Amino acid sequence: MNAWTSYRLKDFIPFTAEVYFRLLERMGETFWPLHLLTLALGAATLVLALKHRPRIACLLPAPLWAFVAVAFFFQRYAELNWAGGYVAYAFIAQAVLLVVMALTGWGMDNEPRATNPPVAIGIAITLFGLLIMPLMAPLSGGSWYQAEVFGIHADPTAVTTLGLVLIMLRGFALWIAVIIPALWLVVSGLTLQVLDSSGAAVLFGVLAIALVGLVWKSIESRR
Amino acid sequence: MSPLIKHRTKHRITRRQSLTLIGATLAAIALPTASLFANTAGMRQKAFAGTDKKLPVIGMGTWRTFNVGSDPKLLDARTEVVKAFFEHGGGLIDSSPMYGSAPDVMGYALQQLGTPESLFAAEKVWSPAGGSAREQVAELKDRWQVEHFDLVQVHNLTDWREHLAALQEMKAEGAIRHVGITTSHGRRHGEIEQIMTSEDIDFVQLTYNITHREAENRLLPLAEERGISVIANRPYDGGSLIKNLKRRDVPLPEWANEECGCTTWADFLLKFIISHPAITCAIPATTQVEHMRENMRAGHAPMPSPDARQRMAATIESL
Repeated sequence: MNAWTSYRLKDFIPFTAEVYFRLLERMGETFWPLHLLTLALGAATLVLALKHRPRIACLLPAPLWAFVAVAFFFQRYAELNWAGGYVAYAFIAQAVLLVVMALTGWGMDNEPRATNPPVAIGIAITLFGLLIMPLMAPLSGGSWYQAEVFGIHADPTAVTTLGLVLIMLRGFALWIAVIIPALWLVVSGLTLQVLDSSGAAVLFGVLAIALVGLVWKSIESRR
Repeated sequence: MSPLIKHRTKHRITRRQSLTLIGATLAAIALPTASLFANTAGMRQKAFAGTDKKLPVIGMGTWRTFNVGSDPKLLDARTEVVKAFFEHGGGLIDSSPMYGSAPDVMGYALQQLGTPESLFAAEKVWSPAGGSAREQVAELKDRWQVEHFDLVQVHNLTDWREHLAALQEMKAEGAIRHVGITTSHGRRHGEIEQIMTSEDIDFVQLTYNITHREAENRLLPLAEERGISVIANRPYDGGSLIKNLKRRDVPLPEWANEECGCTTWADFLLKFIISHPAITCAIPATTQVEHMRENMRAGHAPMPSPDARQRMAATIESL
C-alpha cells in the first residue's frame, strides 16, 4: 500500500467531536461575560467601517485576534493538537497585519455603498459572524456556553473579519488580509467535516460567498 | 421464540454461578481498591517477547479518545474508563507523543487511581515531537508520572534507525524494558518486514482486524518465527467497523455464541483478532465505560477455532 495515499483527513484530527465541542464550551464558561464586550466591539467596527472610518475599524479587531491566538490556540487548542501553536502564530500575524494597515492606511477603499454587491456581501458576512453564528449552537440543542462568539472563538472571529475587510479594503491589501481568516476557515471546516458536524457546510458556504465578493471587488476596481 | 429470548434462556444463570458471583462480589467489597486492579480472573493472557511473563489479550489504545486537554470533566470521565479497564483485568495501555494530551491524561488517571501492578505502559518516540529518543522518553515519563516504561516503540518508523539504536541502548541500561516499532493502516509493510528480520526487537504494532488481514501473509508468520510479540491496532478499523454493524442493526450470528461465546459484535471482532496465534493483544480505544467493559469481556474464553475464524471472516465479507 502506498503510504501517502493511505492517509485520510481523519488521520490528522487527533481529537473527538466531544472534546472539540467541550473546548468551545470551556471558552464560553471561562470568559463569560467578555462576550458582550467583544460583540460590542464587533458591532462598533461594522458601524465605523460603514461610516468610512476604515483605519480605526481595522484597529479594533486586532486585539481580539491576539486574544484568540493566546486564549484559544496557545492555552487550549494546542493541548489537543501539536499544530495549534503554529495556528496561534498565524492569528498573531493577522493581528499585526490589521495594526499595520490601521497605522499606514494601506489598501483602504473609498466610502462603502451598501448597494455595491461586494460591500453588501461583506455586510451580510459580518452580520452572520456577529449575530447568527452565536445562535447556531444554542438553536441546535447546545447550551449558551457553546455559543461561538466573535473575539472569543476562532470561527466567528475569522468570518466577521472576512466580512469587514470586504467592506473596507481593496486591491492587493484585501487579498493579503483575507489569507489567514480564509485558511483558518478551511482548516476548521475540514475539522468539522471529520467530526460529522453540519458546521463544516456553513463555513465552506461563507468562504464561497466571500470568494465571490473578493473576485467581484477585484474586477470592479480594475475597471 | 425470538433469537434473543432463545439466547437468554440458554444462558440462564445456574445456582453455582449465582453463588460464585455473590462470593466474588463480597470478596471484591472486602478487598482494597488496589487489589481489585490486580484481578485478571477470566481474562486470557499470552506470553510476550520470549519471556515467561504474560499480557492480557485486551489492551487499551488512546488515539483521539484520551486527548482531552485540561478539561476537568473529561479528565474524570477518562479516569473512569481507565478504572474499568484495570478492574476487568487490563494491562497494556498504548500512547504516543503524537496523541496530543493523551500521555498527560494517563498521568492524571494514574494519579487518581494509583498505578496498578498490572499496568504495562507502552509509549512511542516520534520525530516531529522534537528531541532525541532519550529526551522524549524522559518527558513522557514525567507526563505519565511513572518510573519506567515497559515498552517504547518507534512511531510509524519515523527516523527508525536512529531511534531504535537509542532505545536499544536504553534497554541495555535497564531504563526501558522492551523495544518495538509501529505502523498502521497497512503502511510500509515491506520495511516493517525488513526491520523484523534484521533488528532485535521485542514488539511490533500493526493494523490487524477482520477486514484488514494483510499482515497474515508475511508479518504475522515472521513474528511467530522470530518470537516478536504483536500488538494489533485499529481493531474496529478506527471505530467504523463496529459502528456500521450497530447502526445497521446486523444480528450477531447464533453460531458465534455457541462456538466462541460471542454475545456482542465487540466479542466477535476482538475474539477474531486475539485468537490469531501470533497476536499478543489488541488495543481498542474508547471513551465510554460501558464500551470498555464490552471490550474486556472479549478477552474471556472460549476463543474461536481456526475454522470458526474462517467463518467469522466470511460472515463479515458477506455483509
